[in-house]
Amino acid sequence: MTTTVLIVDDSKLARIVIGKAVSSLQPGWTRVEAGNADEAITVIDARPVDVVILDYNMPGRDGIALAEELRARFPAMPIALATANVQDEIVARARSADVTFVVKPVTEEGIRGFVSGAALRLRLPQP
Amino acid sequence: MAQFLVEGRELVAEAGRELSVLAQRPEDAVALDGCFRAIHTLKGSTGLFDLQPMGLMLHAAEDLLSAMREGQPAATGGFEALLDVVDQVDRWLDTLERDGALPSGAASVGRAAERRLRDLTSDPASPGRKPDAPGWHIPPEFAGLVGTAIRYTPRADCYFSGDDPLAIIAATPGLTALRLSPREAWGPLDHYDPFACNLVIEAVSTADRATVEAAFRFVADQVEFVELTNLDPAAPDGTAARRTLRVDAARVDRLADLADDLVIAKGGLAELAAQAETLPGGHALGQALRGRQAQLDRLVGDLHATVGRVRLVPLSPLFARFPRLARDIARSLGKSVTLEIEGGEIEVDKTVVDGLFDPLLHVLRNALDHGIEPAELRRAAGKPDAGNIRLTARASAGHVVIEVADDGAGIDIGHIREVAVTRGILGREAADALDDAAAIELIFTPGFSTASTVSEVSGRGVGMDVVRSAAARLGGRVTVESLAGQGATARFVLPLAMVLTRIMVVACGSERYGLALDAVVQTTRVTSDDIIPIRDGRAFQLRDQALPLVSLGGLVGTGEEARASRRVIVAKVRGELVGFSVDAIVERMDAVVRPMNGLLSGAPGVTGTTLLSDGTVLMILDLAELVA
Amino acid sequence: MTVVLDGSVVRLQGLCRVEDAEPLAALLQSGEAATIELSDCEAMHGAVAQVILAFAPVLTGTPAVFFLRNLLLPTLAAERQLRRLKLK
Repeated sequence: MTTTVLIVDDSKLARIVIGKAVSSLQPGWTRVEAGNADEAITVIDARPVDVVILDYNMPGRDGIALAEELRARFPAMPIALATANVQDEIVARARSADVTFVVKPVTEEGIRGFVSGAALRLRLPQP
Repeated sequence: MAQFLVEGRELVAEAGRELSVLAQRPEDAVALDGCFRAIHTLKGSTGLFDLQPMGLMLHAAEDLLSAMREGQPAATGGFEALLDVVDQVDRWLDTLERDGALPSGAASVGRAAERRLRDLTSDPASPGRKPDAPGWHIPPEFAGLVGTAIRYTPRADCYFSGDDPLAIIAATPGLTALRLSPREAWGPLDHYDPFACNLVIEAVSTADRATVEAAFRFVADQVEFVELTNLDPAAPDGTAARRTLRVDAARVDRLADLADDLVIAKGGLAELAAQAETLPGGHALGQALRGRQAQLDRLVGDLHATVGRVRLVPLSPLFARFPRLARDIARSLGKSVTLEIEGGEIEVDKTVVDGLFDPLLHVLRNALDHGIEPAELRRAAGKPDAGNIRLTARASAGHVVIEVADDGAGIDIGHIREVAVTRGILGREAADALDDAAAIELIFTPGFSTASTVSEVSGRGVGMDVVRSAAARLGGRVTVESLAGQGATARFVLPLAMVLTRIMVVACGSERYGLALDAVVQTTRVTSDDIIPIRDGRAFQLRDQALPLVSLGGLVGTGEEARASRRVIVAKVRGELVGFSVDAIVERMDAVVRPMNGLLSGAPGVTGTTLLSDGTVLMILDLAELVA
Repeated sequence: MTVVLDGSVVRLQGLCRVEDAEPLAALLQSGEAATIELSDCEAMHGAVAQVILAFAPVLTGTPAVFFLRNLLLPTLAAERQLRRLKLK
C-alpha cells in the first residue's frame, strides 16, 4: 500500500518546492495537491490520504484551522504546517493540535524531520 | 554527607561571626564579603544533596547580601533576618546529623524565610527580581555553574512529529553543561522501542534568558527554566562556568611524550606476533597476539588523540584582551569604535592561541588607523560616528576562521598600486595589470606600508608581511578582502589542532635542514680513522656492526663534510641502519610541518617545510627517499 | 549509511538520523555489537543517543564536533557508568 501525501498551498510554486523536497526524501510517496482548505477537504473525502503538509497563510480558512479540523477527523495523521512567521499563539495552537512546524521556504533539510517521523508513524499498526 | 555536616558547621560559624560584626558596623566590606562567601558556599553544598528548603532560603540570603555588596543600604531588620537563617541552618544540621533528613515542616519554614528575605531584598532600582525556585532537582553536576538551567522533557511521541530533541538542545547558544537521562526506567531491553522518546535533557546555558527561551519556542510546553545565580565572588563575570582543572603545561607535554613512547613500544608487538606464528604450534598464540595488538592500537591511538585535545583552549581569554586595547588605540587616534566579539568559545591548540595575539593586534591597529574613517568622513558617508569592528571566530572542517572586519573606507587599491610602483616593488604596467585581489596581496610584500603618513599607532617597519609569516608559523594563512566604502576584512584560517612533528635541525655547510626525529635512531661522532672505505662507498663501525656512511651534504648538494671529526646521525632506512654525516646538530624542536606545495612540490627527498621563528624556511628531509 | 558494523564494533558516521535508531538498537539487542565508535559522527539524533543511553555500550573514539565531544559524550559516558553499576 503506498503512502499518499497531500500538499495544500495556494501557491503553485510553493507546492512544487514542497513536492520536490518530499520526493527526494520519500520517492515512493504519491503526491496530491490542493490550492485551499476546501479543495483539501474535497480531496480527502475522495481518496485515502496518509500525510498532510499545509501552508499557514491561505485565502479562506487558514492552515491552522484546517489542521484542527483534520486532527479531529484523523487523530493519528501526521500533519505539518509550513509557515514563515511563527507567533507564539500559533505555536501553541499547533502544538495542541499535534501539528509539526516546518519553516518556509521548505527545504529538504527543513522537512526531513517531519517526513522521517511520519514514515515511522505510518509503519505502526494503525488504530 | 558527613563532610557536608563538618563543613556546614564551619560555614555557619563563619557566617554568624561576620553577621555579628556587621550588626555593629554595617559598612564593614570585609565582613560582608566573608559572610557572602560563607552563605554562597553553604548554598552550593545544599545543591549536592536533596536539601531544597535549605537551598531556597540560602539562595534568598545570598541575594540579599549580594544587593548589599552592590551598595544597597542594609534594610532594617536585614541582619536579624540573615542571622535567623544561619541559626535555622544550624538547627537543620542537627536534625540532619540525627535523622539523615530535614524535619517534615522544613519546606514551609524555608519558604517563609525566603519570603521574608526577598521582601528585604526588593531594591527599588531593580524591582523585577522574582524568586526563581527550581521546579525540579538541579543535577549535582551543575553545582557552581552560572546561567540558565534548562530541563527539557520531550513528549514520548516527539520523534514521530519530526522533533529532534538533541538538535534543539545543540542549537541552544552558550551551552556549558548537558545531562541526558531516561524519563522512566528502561524496562526489559528486548522490548526496547527505539521510537518512543524516553529522555530528560538537562542543560545549562550562559546565553541570556530570552535567547535560551527562543531556542525552545516550538517545544515551550515541554521545557522549564531556572536561573542559576551562583555568582562566585572570585569570578564575577561568570568565567567559573567551565569546569576545568588547571594542569601544568609541562605535565601535559610529558603526557604527550609518554603517549608517543607508547606508540613506539607497542610497535614491537607486531614483530613478536610474527615470530610467534613461525614457531611450531605458535599460530594460535600469534593470532591472539595480533588481536591484542589491534586492540592496543586503537586504545593508544585514542589516547594520543585525547592527549592532543588536552592542549585545546578557548579563544575567549585571548579575545577578552582586545576591547580595552581597541578603546585605547581608538582614543589615541581621536576615533571611537565598538568592538564586537563572537566565537570565543571555540577551542584551538594552545600554541595557536599564544601565537595569535600579535598578529591580531596588528590587524586591529590597521583597521582602526587606516580602515575606520574620522567621524566627519563617516557622517558624510552616512555611517554612524563610531566605527564598528567585528572580531569573530568560527570553526570549519578542522580549521578555525578568525576575522577582523571593520566598517571603514576599505582599502584604496589605486593607492596600493601607486605605492608598489614608487617603492619599486613592481613596474607601472605590471601594477596596472593586477586585478584588485592581486593588488591587495601586495600589502603582504615585505616592507610595504600603505599609510602615506606613518602614524604613531601603526608604527614603522612592521607590516602585513610579519602578520602573514606569523600565520604561516601556526600552520595557517591570512588574506584580506576589501569593499570600497564598506570596509575591509582580515581573515585568518588556522588549524584547530596543531600537528606538531619533532624534528632535529642539522647543518650542512651554511644550510640547515630538518629531519623527522622518529627516523633517527641515535647520533654519534665519527673520526676519519673510524671510516672504512668499501668499494664505491664508506662504512663505519658502530658497536659490533659496520654501517654504511653517507654524507648528507653530498646528497643535498652543499658539499661533503670536511672536518676530521663529524657528527653522524644513525637512521633506519627501509629496515637498515645507515649513518648520515653532517657538519653539526643544531637543535631539536617541535614544528608544524607543512606539505610541499608550489614549485617545490616535486622535489625528491623533501617531505615538507616549516617556518623558523626568524622567518626562514626549513626543509624537512626524508632520508629514505634521499638514498633511494 | 551511517550505522556501519565492523566486527563487533558499530561505527556511527556522518549525520545519524532518527531512522538509524532502529538498526542500531537491533545490533545491540542481538549482541552482534557491544562497542560504538564515534570518531566520524557529525550529528546524532535524539533517538540514536537514547539507544546508546539504554543499552550502555562501550563508547570509543571522540567526535570532532564540539557539542558531541564536549557535551554529549561526557553525559553518555557518565550515564553508562551509572547504568553498569545498576545492572550488576
